[in-house]
Amino acid sequence: MEKELENKFLDDFEANQNIVHKVCRIYTTNQDAHNDLFQEITIQLWKNYSKFRGDAKFSTWMYRVALNTAISLYRKSTRTIQTQDITEYSFKIKAEDYDDTEELQLKALYSAIRKLNDIDKALIFLYLEDKSYREISDTLGISEVNARVKMNRAKDKLKKVLNP
Amino acid sequence: MDLDKYKKAWENQPEETRKVSKVDIYKMAHSKSSSIVKWIFIIGILEFVLLNSLYFVVDMEEAYNEYRQLGLYNFMFYSQFVLYPILFYFLIKFYLNYKSISVVDSTKTLMDKIIKTRKTVKYYVLFNLLYVFIFGVIVSIATLKTHPEFNSKQILVSIIVTIVVLIIMVIILWCFYQLLYGILLRKLNKNYKELAKLEDLN
Repeated sequence: MEKELENKFLDDFEANQNIVHKVCRIYTTNQDAHNDLFQEITIQLWKNYSKFRGDAKFSTWMYRVALNTAISLYRKSTRTIQTQDITEYSFKIKAEDYDDTEELQLKALYSAIRKLNDIDKALIFLYLEDKSYREISDTLGISEVNARVKMNRAKDKLKKVLNP
Repeated sequence: MDLDKYKKAWENQPEETRKVSKVDIYKMAHSKSSSIVKWIFIIGILEFVLLNSLYFVVDMEEAYNEYRQLGLYNFMFYSQFVLYPILFYFLIKFYLNYKSISVVDSTKTLMDKIIKTRKTVKYYVLFNLLYVFIFGVIVSIATLKTHPEFNSKQILVSIIVTIVVLIIMVIILWCFYQLLYGILLRKLNKNYKELAKLEDLN
């Protein structure tokens, strides 16, 4: 039974791991910290996986656990050395759909998001991932009205950072 | 300015090149967590243990003899019947709060529960500091009673000095405590305020 659950978890996780990578990218600024946060999120996902019932999509559940870990549980580990610059993150685009402007936009977007506070990061991330206000308010635990107000403010802040 | 073009760039972003393999996911999932919640639990338990282990360090026999001389034996003896239930109450509350913390909750609920868990220990420490203070005052009054040769001025000065020393001691301990949790929860408190800001206005 345990083995079965474990295999299911590994399949689900592997297929959706990109969500966790994106969360790590916006909440950390170097590869060591990225790996550290990734590991903590993995621990939390597995710890709670037995409580996960198929009534929600695995990915929806993953957003919540990943963001909660990044915002509330994660502490920068002391073994993390903060020397690498954020530019070290490379976004390799496949040759056939190579688009220079989009790559630059993506880089600008990541570095702008990193300048926001933790809550605004989560709001912008959920907006970029096309989540509904209902899901956003549910994930963060605030009312839908407040989620809208906060989202507009977060977007304004992001625009200011992108176009100072 | 519109964010649409950035959103499009976001949607078209390539998958992470450093994919984590199933084997590594398995290894990570079974490694030890170093989350804030775990630290709050460890530090909380340490506080309960440290505050109560003082009883084992102090030679109780000798201490009780001194209390006897000061006429405080009964007070000390019976105060234990009050102290231990209070300790257990805090311990159980701390454990239940800790157990209720779930990363599957909404962000706000999760932060609420973490802060509540920490507050239980905070109140326990506060309770202990208060007890130390009251106990200190009682002992000094009892000590003064054993020195009938003191005039009223001397008594007044001794009481003031005792109270000042006790207050300083309590403040130092309190600052140390705040520093400990301040470092641990700085980020969480900031995020909590950020999330609660709007709710308070309604």
